[in-house]
Amino acid sequence: MLSLLIWGPLFGTALIALLPAAVMTPARARQIALVVAAGVLLWTGYLVMQFDPNLPGLQFRESLSWVDSLGLTYQLGVDGLSLPLIVINSLLVLMALVATDLNLTRPRLYYSLVLILEAGVAGAFVAQNLLLFFLFYEVELIPLYLMIAIWGGAKRGYAATKFLIYTAISGVLMLAAFFGLSFLSGSHSFDYDGLQAQALPMATQLVLLITLVVAFGIKIPLVPFHTWLPDAHVEAPTPASVLLAGVLLKLGTYGLLKFGFGLFPEAWQLIAPGLAVVAVINVLYGSFVAIAQTDMKKIVAYSSVGHMGYVILASAAATPLALMGAIAQMISHGLISALLFLLVGVVYSKTGTRDVTVLRGLLAPECGMPLIGSLMIVGVMASAGIPGMVGFIAEFIVYRASFPVFPIQTILSMLGTGLTAVYFLNLVNRVFFGRMTESLAQLPRIAWRDRIPSIVMVVLVIFLGLQPDWLVHWSKSTTLALSEVNRTATALMLPDSEP
Amino acid sequence: MNQFLIQTAWWVPAYGLLGALLTLPWSIGLIRRTGPRPAAYFNLLMTVLALVHCVALLNDIWDLPVLHIDMPWFRILDLNLYLSLQISRVSVGAAILITGLSLLAQVFALGYLEKDWGLARFYALMGFFEGAMSGLALSDSLFFSYALLEMLTLSTYLLVGFWYAQPLVVKAARDAFLTKRVGDLLLLMGVVAVSTIAGTLDFAELTAWAKTADLAPLTANLLGLALIFGPIGKCAQFPLNLWLDEAMEGPNPASIMRNSVVVACGAYVLIQMQPLLALSPLALTTLMALGAVTAVGASLVAIAQIDIKRALSHTTSAYLGLVFLAVGMQQNEVALLFLFTHAVGKALQFMSVGSIILTTSTQDLREMGGLAGRMPATTSAFVVGSLACVALVPLGSFWSMQEWANRFWLGAPIFVGMLLVVNGLTAFNLTRVFGLVFWGDPQPKTRRAPEAPWLIATPMVALMVIVLLVPVMLWRWGLLPTWSQINWTTVALLVTSGAVGVTAGGLLYLGDRRAQLQGNGWKGIQTLLAQDFCMEQIYRLSIILGVQQGSRLTAWIDRYIVDGAVNLLGFASILGGETLKYTISGQAKHYLLTVFFGVVLGVVCLTWVF
Repeated sequence: MLSLLIWGPLFGTALIALLPAAVMTPARARQIALVVAAGVLLWTGYLVMQFDPNLPGLQFRESLSWVDSLGLTYQLGVDGLSLPLIVINSLLVLMALVATDLNLTRPRLYYSLVLILEAGVAGAFVAQNLLLFFLFYEVELIPLYLMIAIWGGAKRGYAATKFLIYTAISGVLMLAAFFGLSFLSGSHSFDYDGLQAQALPMATQLVLLITLVVAFGIKIPLVPFHTWLPDAHVEAPTPASVLLAGVLLKLGTYGLLKFGFGLFPEAWQLIAPGLAVVAVINVLYGSFVAIAQTDMKKIVAYSSVGHMGYVILASAAATPLALMGAIAQMISHGLISALLFLLVGVVYSKTGTRDVTVLRGLLAPECGMPLIGSLMIVGVMASAGIPGMVGFIAEFIVYRASFPVFPIQTILSMLGTGLTAVYFLNLVNRVFFGRMTESLAQLPRIAWRDRIPSIVMVVLVIFLGLQPDWLVHWSKSTTLALSEVNRTATALMLPDSEP
Repeated sequence: MNQFLIQTAWWVPAYGLLGALLTLPWSIGLIRRTGPRPAAYFNLLMTVLALVHCVALLNDIWDLPVLHIDMPWFRILDLNLYLSLQISRVSVGAAILITGLSLLAQVFALGYLEKDWGLARFYALMGFFEGAMSGLALSDSLFFSYALLEMLTLSTYLLVGFWYAQPLVVKAARDAFLTKRVGDLLLLMGVVAVSTIAGTLDFAELTAWAKTADLAPLTANLLGLALIFGPIGKCAQFPLNLWLDEAMEGPNPASIMRNSVVVACGAYVLIQMQPLLALSPLALTTLMALGAVTAVGASLVAIAQIDIKRALSHTTSAYLGLVFLAVGMQQNEVALLFLFTHAVGKALQFMSVGSIILTTSTQDLREMGGLAGRMPATTSAFVVGSLACVALVPLGSFWSMQEWANRFWLGAPIFVGMLLVVNGLTAFNLTRVFGLVFWGDPQPKTRRAPEAPWLIATPMVALMVIVLLVPVMLWRWGLLPTWSQINWTTVALLVTSGAVGVTAGGLLYLGDRRAQLQGNGWKGIQTLLAQDFCMEQIYRLSIILGVQQGSRLTAWIDRYIVDGAVNLLGFASILGGETLKYTISGQAKHYLLTVFFGVVLGVVCLTWVF
């Protein structure tokens, strides 16, 4: 069942790429990509319906042996941690495809790449073998690199290479940690289940865990490994930005929780305070830098750096509620950042600039873009944590859960929501308020194609904000089970303190 | 019927939100053919329903004890969030006040914004505004109240920014949002902490918890301080007071609500949090100190304003300062009474001001004059509203002020003196505004001023009647003191202070027009007051500068140090490659030798480390 999430998009890719150009016109390539992505989304929906939220472990498991001598097996499965992220992936790919410009160059390559990306990300989220995860993690890198390098902005070469090198280093470190874990523990298997219980000396565990944290920290991104992100976002075409911020960053936090916290619960306890401090730095640093930016995409990109900090904070706290908060914040950030990038993309494609010092008065009713502006206000307010939208409840869970563990760090990172209000309010005030300048008066018409993805996102953001049960329903049992591991680990480390 | 009304009490806030939702097709431009009017009618209908529901509910529960309705909203692991409602005379009464004033303001807006293309958007926001406020009135959970306060912040931002094409409006909207946001953020910290420490966010349970709670003084003080800052922002108290003044750039019907009930919402939450605040003497003292500073400071600042709306909005801050003092002294009944009488009086004043602004197209006091004969309804509304706001004749505020003075008379007489000063200054200010607007010779902009159209006049006159009836209502509710309970000393003092204010104002501003505007040699003080004691400059030099420079510095570090290091590394490796390529000889043995040395070096390093 899960294989379809991977092979479905790949089949679409094959169709688009291999059929002769005479048959595969750009319009048809787009149609096929849309149909495949919609099919995957429906299939994901079906999986969600079939998913039993009361079971803590993996569901829909698939297991095939592949390269046994290496310990590489084709093990798939999904739990409450990965399921919401798979949904986000399927959803955002479809939205990104809808939002794609009709007249882009080399459409067949583009649509093939997007579908490969979808397959790679889905594969990484369902892989239950460390090497398999690594493979998918690397697979996802190539299409994104090409998307930035081919359809990107002026400095796309620099940005794409930077992205490639950073992510490759992340992959190498991750691979090193996986090898170390497997060989040092003497299991020679990379199956997630087999590795979980291995007990290594604490020093080794720490070295491996810190390697993993750096590896995933590049992806999340943690300050100071973040500088690839703004460049990549600024140069990437809108759909790539949407997927990058909405889904790909979550690979980092997902990996951190699944492999860092899940495999090294004892060592996690030791680095958690440090991680919480890093989280605060991420939040404040990202927010402060965002205030000083003038490029709309850069503002949203740095806000991603800040908001991913909340996921780190909650992961460091690692109580059941905190893990719940981490998952909720991942989903919330996925939706909100995707929404913001979609909207910035529309503004950019219609006005030709993203500079907040140039744009003005876009909310104007007749010649401006009032609907896009209104959606932008919703998105911005959701990001700033206004209640009634998903950003608030996710952040509230994070704060509420992290406060008992790290009170000072939580209070400090709460300042981030205030700063979010500052930079996003400045953005809205400058770009959408005020009197429209003459040079902007002749904007091209906005098609419904441009609006629909954002409208879907806004509806989801508000719906999940009012009905947060849907946000967390799937993950309760998994988070409880995950933190149970953690509690046992604490009990092992401090045998006397537990009653 | 009884049970049904009580069980459906949560509809009251929902009506407003539903109204806002129904206007969407018009406000985003899906329906253009009908014009925006139908959206307004939907909202009016919803507000009427909310009002009727509230009134029927109040009628039903009048004799019942306080009811508590738990509505579980979100439950996850050990976190339970409720949207609890409290059904009591006070809460439903507050909801009636809100929906009633909202109804009047919305009818008023039909006339005021008649030709505005954004009418539907305005009504959507008003519905949202009203829903959030009536929810706040009924809320019995700190979490719910916090969420609604934030929604109020958002809708204030959008309402102030309604005419977003004007630069002043954009700035005002931003300042309103960010200033309130500072307060909200601190409140959120408090909410998170309370939820962790007390394990509940329900006001009733928190009250019970606070009685037995044993907190470290530092924790209690920090908690109390965090909690009071939300209301401070919302009620425009020093040091978060400037937004209200700037918010007067927004459309007037929203100002009616903002100056009467919106600011009161903050104080209302403060009153509900009072048991928690009582844990921290420092928080109560801070509350009183800030309230006192605002009461006197804002009354002084109000006198120097030349914008008619700003002149009145500062007195709102001042009166809310008095409410803060009452809460600080743990006199919640007086605080509530004060909020009520102030709300209706101030709403009436702002309706009258709206009528003036619409007719004359100016907000500048210096450009007005001689309107008394031309706009009789507006004039009488202003006079009645003003009299209801000061203690001179026995209208609303007279009774709340004398009650206020009685409660402070024994404990803290110095505050009674302060009340007299505020009352006197406000009376002076209102007389000044009256003199400049309604008295004297007509100015170019007021020469051809007709009375306001009926859509404006009707709600204004209706509210005027209500304001006049307030003493009767108080009497019916048993809130008036009996003849023997009246402290005649305070009454005499209050009336004297009001009379002194009116007389001084009359002497200065009811006379010859030219004399008033030049004359006095107090230029320096006047400028200082007109600029709100340079508060804005102080903000700019402190917190704004801090954030700005901090962000610039971080961005610089990001660009030149963090990213610079990365680029340097990249540059170094390219340079290294480019340089080393000249050493290539093409002979395999050299390569093997290099590889060999490299491996040796690596092995040495590894053995060295371990």
